[in-house]
Amino acid sequence: MVVGDDLLLEVKDLKTQFFTNQGVVKAVDGASLRIRRGKTLGVVGESGCGKSVTARSILGIVERPGRVVEGEILYRRSLDGNGATYEELDLAQLKPQGREFRAIRGSEISMIFQEPMSSLSPHYTIGNQIAENLLLHQEMTPEEAREQTIELLRQVGIARPQLRVDAYPFQLSGGMCQRAVIAMAIACRPSLLIADEPTTALDVTTQAQILDLIQSMQQELGMAVMLITHDLGVVAEVADDVAVMYLGRVAESADVDTIFHDPRHPYTRALLRSIPRAEGAIRERLNPIRGMVPDPFNRPSGCVFHPRCDAMEQGICDGQAPRMVEVAPDHWVSCWQTTE
Amino acid sequence: MTERKGTENGKLLQVQGLRMHFPIHKGGLLRRMVGRVKAVDGVNFYVRHGETLGLVGESGCGKTTTGRCILRIYEPTDGQILYREVQGSTVDLTQVEGGALDRYRKEIRMIFQDPYSSLNPRMTVLDIIGEPLRNFEGASGGELEDRVAEMLRRVGLRPEYIRRYPHAFSGGERQRIGIARALALSPRLVVADEPVSALDVSVRAQVLNLLVDLQDELDLTYIFVAHDLSVVRYICDRVTVMYVGKIVELAETEALYREPLHPYTEALMSALPKPDPRLRSERIILEGEVADPANPPSGCYFHPRCHYAQDKCTHIEPELREVQPGRYVACHFAEELSLRGVTRSRRDN
Repeated sequence: MVVGDDLLLEVKDLKTQFFTNQGVVKAVDGASLRIRRGKTLGVVGESGCGKSVTARSILGIVERPGRVVEGEILYRRSLDGNGATYEELDLAQLKPQGREFRAIRGSEISMIFQEPMSSLSPHYTIGNQIAENLLLHQEMTPEEAREQTIELLRQVGIARPQLRVDAYPFQLSGGMCQRAVIAMAIACRPSLLIADEPTTALDVTTQAQILDLIQSMQQELGMAVMLITHDLGVVAEVADDVAVMYLGRVAESADVDTIFHDPRHPYTRALLRSIPRAEGAIRERLNPIRGMVPDPFNRPSGCVFHPRCDAMEQGICDGQAPRMVEVAPDHWVSCWQTTE
Repeated sequence: MTERKGTENGKLLQVQGLRMHFPIHKGGLLRRMVGRVKAVDGVNFYVRHGETLGLVGESGCGKTTTGRCILRIYEPTDGQILYREVQGSTVDLTQVEGGALDRYRKEIRMIFQDPYSSLNPRMTVLDIIGEPLRNFEGASGGELEDRVAEMLRRVGLRPEYIRRYPHAFSGGERQRIGIARALALSPRLVVADEPVSALDVSVRAQVLNLLVDLQDELDLTYIFVAHDLSVVRYICDRVTVMYVGKIVELAETEALYREPLHPYTEALMSALPKPDPRLRSERIILEGEVADPANPPSGCYFHPRCHYAQDKCTHIEPELREVQPGRYVACHFAEELSLRGVTRSRRDN
C-alpha cells in the first residue's frame, strides 16, 4: 500500500473490547490498516476475526457493551474535494453520539450491511429512507430530495425509479433492496464506503451485478471502498489492497497481487490453500487448516494463530505477540517466523 | 478419478417427470386458489450407485424442493421416483404410503444446511444422533451409547462430548453432528442440502473432505445440493444445473466445467468470483433477476436474461435432450453456441 498523499484513513493499533458478564471479549486487539483515497481495501477473515467490529469502530457504531479502548482512527478529511489539502481527525477521539461524528457518519463515511432486508425499515418507502439521509446532511427541500432520490435510484440501476421510489422494501427482491441500500449510502457522495459482506446474502449472478455496481459507483464518485468479506474470490475480483485478519489482528496486508501470489503469513497461505480453486482437479482433496478458530474468551498467548500454525516454534510463537513488520514496501506481516 | 468404484454400477435412483407445485391461496374464510408456484416442473435425472450428483442453481430454482421430494418431506404433485432396493427390485417412492415408508426413510437420509437451526438445542448429542437409532432400530442403553460414540469418532469428534448440548460446539462441529445423525442408520443415499455453505472457509474444506472420506468408507451415494459451483467441482461426479424448476443442463463435472453447453451454466461460471487477481476476466453479468416460478416467462424460461436469445426462444420451450452421450441440455442452440467454461478461460489468459 502506498502511503503518501493518497492516504484517506489509517487505523493504528485499534483495540475494541466488549465488556460482557462472562468477561472481556477482545474483538479487535491491535489492528492496523490503511485505506487509500479512491481505492478498494478488501478486509478478509473468518467469523470472529473482528473485521465487522473494526468497520463499526471506524463509524462509531460499536454496540454496547463494546467500545474502542485504545488506538487511533485517523481520517483525512478533504478540504478541496481531491485530498490535496486536508485536515486530520482522530475518529477514535470523537464522541460517537456527538454532532461532529453525526455529520461524518452517513455523509462522508457511509456503510452498507450484509442483509439488505434488515437494514431497511419495513414501515417506510425506500424513497423516504433515502431522502431522509439527504435532508439530514444537505440543505434541500423535500421536493428536491425526492427528485434526487429518483436520480439516485436510476444511478444504481433500478428500473422505473419514479414508481419504485414509493415501493416498500417487501415489494422488492433482495438484489433490488441492496441497490436501494447502496443508493442510500452514496446519496451524500461519501469519500469512504464501508461495505460489510454486501453480497453474502445474494445469489451468484446477483452478486456479480452488485459488485459491478459498487465498482462503477466508485469510479463515478471517486470514493474509497472498504470491502469486508469472507470470500477470497470476491476480494481477488475487486480489491486493490487486502488486509487479512485473524482473531482481532491484521495478520498480513499488501496489494492484492502480493497477497494472492506472494503471501508471507502462514495463515494467509493456509487460507489460500484451503479454498476451492477454479483450476483445481475434479474431486481433488482440499487442504483444510487444522483445528478451529478459538473462542474469544480463550485467546491463545503470543501469536494468536500459533495453535493452528505449521511453522510454529515453541518458546517464540507462544510467548509474545509479533508486531507488524514491513517485509517489502507496503507489505506488512505480523509473524515471528517470516520477519526474523 | 473417473475410475472411482461404483460409477459403472447401475442406477440407484431414477427421477421421472417430477413435479412439485405449491398452491397460492388468497382470502381468509373462503380461501381460493389463485395460482401455483411451479417449484419443480418436470425434472428427469438418475443417480448411479456410489456417485455424487450435484444439484446446482440459484435460490428458487427448485434444487432443495427436488431433494425434499426424494425424501417425501413433500408430496410430489406428479412424477415417479424409482428407487432400487438392496435385493435389486425397484420401487416407486411416490406410491409408498404410511408405515411402509419407514424402510426407505432409513436408507435415504438428509444433511441440512444450517447447523444452528437443524439441531434441537434442548437435546444432547446422544439424543440427537441416537434418535434415529432408537426410533428405527430400537437401540437403547449401553448399546445406543456405544453406537453414538462410534459415529462421533467417525465424523472426527471426541466421544467424551456425548452428553454435551449443541451450543457447546462451533459451526463446523455442529455440521459434523448433523452428518453423524444422517449416517447413523447406515443409509444408502444421502441428500446433502448445502452442507457447507454456512461454514467458514477453513472449516468448509474439513467438512468436504470428511464427506468424501465417509462416502468411500461407507459406500454412500450423495445428492449434493449447492449454489456454489466452486464447491461442487470438488465433490461431484456429475452436475445438474437447474433454473426456475427445470433442468437446463446435466453433464459429467469435468465436461461441464470445460465446456458448458447452456448459456445459463456459462453465466453462472462466469459470475463465480475466482480467487486469483490475475484471472480478473470479463464477467458475464446477467441482466434482471431469476424468473418468478409462479409466473414464468414464455418459451425458454431463461430467454429474458440470455445474451444469445433469438426469436424462437421467446415462444418455443426447449426440451432437455441428449446432445452427447451422457450430456443433456435444454437449449435450442446448444450445438451452435461456443461457450466459455472455467478451465478454458484460464488457458486463454
